Amino acid sequence: MSSRTRTIKDILWVLALSGLIAAVFRLWFGLGATTNLSDAYPWGLWKILNMIGGVALSTSGFTVGFLVYVLRIKRFQPLMKPAILIAFLGYGCSCAALLLDIGLPQRFWHPIFMWNINSFLFEVFWCVMLYFTVTAIELAPMIFERLRAEKIAHFLHHIAIVVVIIGISLSSLHHSSLGSLFLVTPQRLYPLWYTPWLPWLFIISAMGAGLMVVVLIRMLWAYWYDHDTVFGPRANHTTPLIRISNDSTTAVPARGPEGPEMPALRSLATIAAWLLGLYLVFKVVDLFLHGGWSTLMVGNWESWLYLIELTLTAILPVILMILPWSRRTPAGVAVAATSAAVGLALNRVDVGILGYVHDAGVLYFPTLVEWMVGLGVVAAAGLVLFFLAENMPVFGPGSTETSSPVGKFKLPNGSLSRLWSTTLADSLHRVTLIAVFIIPLAYVLMYPPYGETWAQPIRPADGLDAERATLCIDGNKDGVETIFAHAEHQHRFGDSASCVKCHHLSMPGDHSTPCSRCHCSMNDPTNIFSHDVHTAALVKVKHLGGLHPENFTCQDCHAPGSPRTAATAKNCMECHRENMVPPGAVEQSNNLLMACSYREAMHGTCIKCHQHEAIQLDQPHLSDCQTCHQTLRPRETTVQTLASQADRTAN
Amino acid sequence: MYGILVDVTRCVACEKCVAACVARNKGNSQLADRDRATTKDGLSSHRRSAIISVDEGRFARKSCMHCLEPACVSACLVGSLKKTADGPVIYDKDKCIGCRYCMLACPFHVPRYEWDQTKPFVTKCDLCYDRIEQGQLPACVEACPEGVLKFGDRDQLMAEAKSRIKAEPNRYRDHVWGEKEFGGTSVIYISDVDLAELNWPDTGADSIPELTEPLVHKTPFIGLGVAVGLISLNWIVKRRNKLAGDDDSAKHSEENHE
Repeated sequence: MSSRTRTIKDILWVLALSGLIAAVFRLWFGLGATTNLSDAYPWGLWKILNMIGGVALSTSGFTVGFLVYVLRIKRFQPLMKPAILIAFLGYGCSCAALLLDIGLPQRFWHPIFMWNINSFLFEVFWCVMLYFTVTAIELAPMIFERLRAEKIAHFLHHIAIVVVIIGISLSSLHHSSLGSLFLVTPQRLYPLWYTPWLPWLFIISAMGAGLMVVVLIRMLWAYWYDHDTVFGPRANHTTPLIRISNDSTTAVPARGPEGPEMPALRSLATIAAWLLGLYLVFKVVDLFLHGGWSTLMVGNWESWLYLIELTLTAILPVILMILPWSRRTPAGVAVAATSAAVGLALNRVDVGILGYVHDAGVLYFPTLVEWMVGLGVVAAAGLVLFFLAENMPVFGPGSTETSSPVGKFKLPNGSLSRLWSTTLADSLHRVTLIAVFIIPLAYVLMYPPYGETWAQPIRPADGLDAERATLCIDGNKDGVETIFAHAEHQHRFGDSASCVKCHHLSMPGDHSTPCSRCHCSMNDPTNIFSHDVHTAALVKVKHLGGLHPENFTCQDCHAPGSPRTAATAKNCMECHRENMVPPGAVEQSNNLLMACSYREAMHGTCIKCHQHEAIQLDQPHLSDCQTCHQTLRPRETTVQTLASQADRTAN
Repeated sequence: MYGILVDVTRCVACEKCVAACVARNKGNSQLADRDRATTKDGLSSHRRSAIISVDEGRFARKSCMHCLEPACVSACLVGSLKKTADGPVIYDKDKCIGCRYCMLACPFHVPRYEWDQTKPFVTKCDLCYDRIEQGQLPACVEACPEGVLKFGDRDQLMAEAKSRIKAEPNRYRDHVWGEKEFGGTSVIYISDVDLAELNWPDTGADSIPELTEPLVHKTPFIGLGVAVGLISLNWIVKRRNKLAGDDDSAKHSEENHE
């Protein structure tokens, strides 16, 4: 195992293991407790970024398949295997995330038997399922060759073209349908991103970015394992600490600053850039055709996001692939590929999550568990890629680091023991070590929020609770609760007869009585703010003397030179910050009670008596709602008189 | 086809309909009260209907509109949601896999998810389908003391809505919400204020399934077309290569020099 990939593999192991633990948390505590998904954002990180974004970045299987098998471009033949492997792993890890995302993972097979042919999601499910099978079949020859089952491998090679064509057809369907999924939300998706062209935009961008991903991964692999095939021979062969694969250096004659595979990668990236350029054209035409231009010109954060996304996905890669100085260097191609991949992922997040912010009115940010699972599945796919590519000739014959002969994966002792002594024993040690740290860390980081708050939901105070000394009030619903000394207030206002003094102050429809109804202005007679008490206290603190020492305290609260009104005074919280109770600071077991609202208070006070009297006096209308509620009257008083006159004359 | 007529001018926001709804669905009234305060529109898995303030002093019952061409039914990939011939859009929890596409698809933002459950399902109003089948009124209609809600055949309700508007043109706006919007709904509204709060579109938009269903029905043919195109393209390339002789290597180097 190379020392260059050791760090990256360890990071992948950490991510994958923490993802595994997070997945257990998600299954154990449920979707609502471990994710920030809500009724406002039913689709979150896993569906949008992992599934829709991940699948879009894994289009390599069918695009390279098209170039190699249908157009028969021999040059791209060496990229076929990586492309299929990327597609297989990309789809695999996306589906793993999706499996955790659906509410009832045990029922993932339902769409196979329960059909709704009107649903785009149904079509996507079938196409993804079938295409995943197709990539597995395309991948199989590689495995069978390694296992020396040549007859099966030969048969699979024989039907490759059929399989590839089925795969391309399925892909062209579901990549566009993933865009069509969002066609159902014309009212909610931000108009910059909602367009009837979504299916087209999705498939073209996915094809372009998918090709870029192959280029990027091939270059990354070359960076780690077979430097010379892509980047050309190193300038200084005697560089210590870095081993160079002997096969490739001897096989490849020096031919300038790049390796023999670079031209193929460059032309692949050029094809991708053409596709992304087409995407750019589509996007711009779409802007003008479907009214996005005026939305873009608003200049809010969505406009900027749109521009950033479009720059990353299309503009930057296309420019980099056009300019000679950047397209000639491997670094330029790599930057173009990275930019396209990141831009595409951002685009899917925009369409799936950020485009709904203006409608939902709240922001969605994934929880730790969501990030860990989302990154974990990708990391696991990366590890599988490392394992397969190190043990099979995925990236060409010279790409595996060990110079063992290819195609001799003997099951008997020899190879197994070699596998154990080289790969597993070493990594098992480290994996165990990582796991030992990861598990407690994950427990500490993830467990606390889900134990208590979900077990004890906030509930409104009922009769007995109102007798308690204190209640928690969050009048403006900002999550910051204030301790309200209910008993004290009640006592000061005249005990049990005083309920109406406060509970009558809020209006119908208010969810609870806001404190500001009383504590709003120092000029308000019901305000508890005492101006004299404050000035006296300031005099005392500042040791002021004279006939009217309080006259020198004005500027402590009011801005100098400003009129001495409540509006120019300091916010109470500037001095009395300790009175503010941050969320969670209150001892929640006793006090997590909301004050009862106007409605609850009035209904509790009035209705019982009304119902009782209605029966006693035999006047059932007393218990009707409209005896007290008189919203039925029309809004304009003139209309009322006319209407009532009409009624009277009719009667 | 059954439906409900909602007369917004009569609603006094007593929320008896909501209480009856929670009771009928065997919900936890305390959790329902909590969600009334903590959610944006009062709908949650514990509260399948809510009273929302549509204007100063005007309230409307928000719940499933039971669209004539429901987006949720069209979206559900396992057919867990169904529009019955009687009008209600009902939910079969035995089929649901929890993909939550219905929640995304619904233009009124009605289906809600049981986020506090480890085995969660979608919840939505089913117009008390079991009660209708037994000849009873839906729980909310039965509970309403003000005559805001009226249950009956949709066509008759539509006629009644129009006659009410005609009888008191000063009292109502000359518009029946749900007559045409999103292809028409089984729950229709008459009001003296605008009902934008209930997510009604400004203009008479097409139904949501009309945006997607014609497309999705074309997909098998598109797939077949792509396959046929690929096969012929493959044949052409094969034949061209054969005619040009096996000079792939020459072509290869040529392209490299471009």
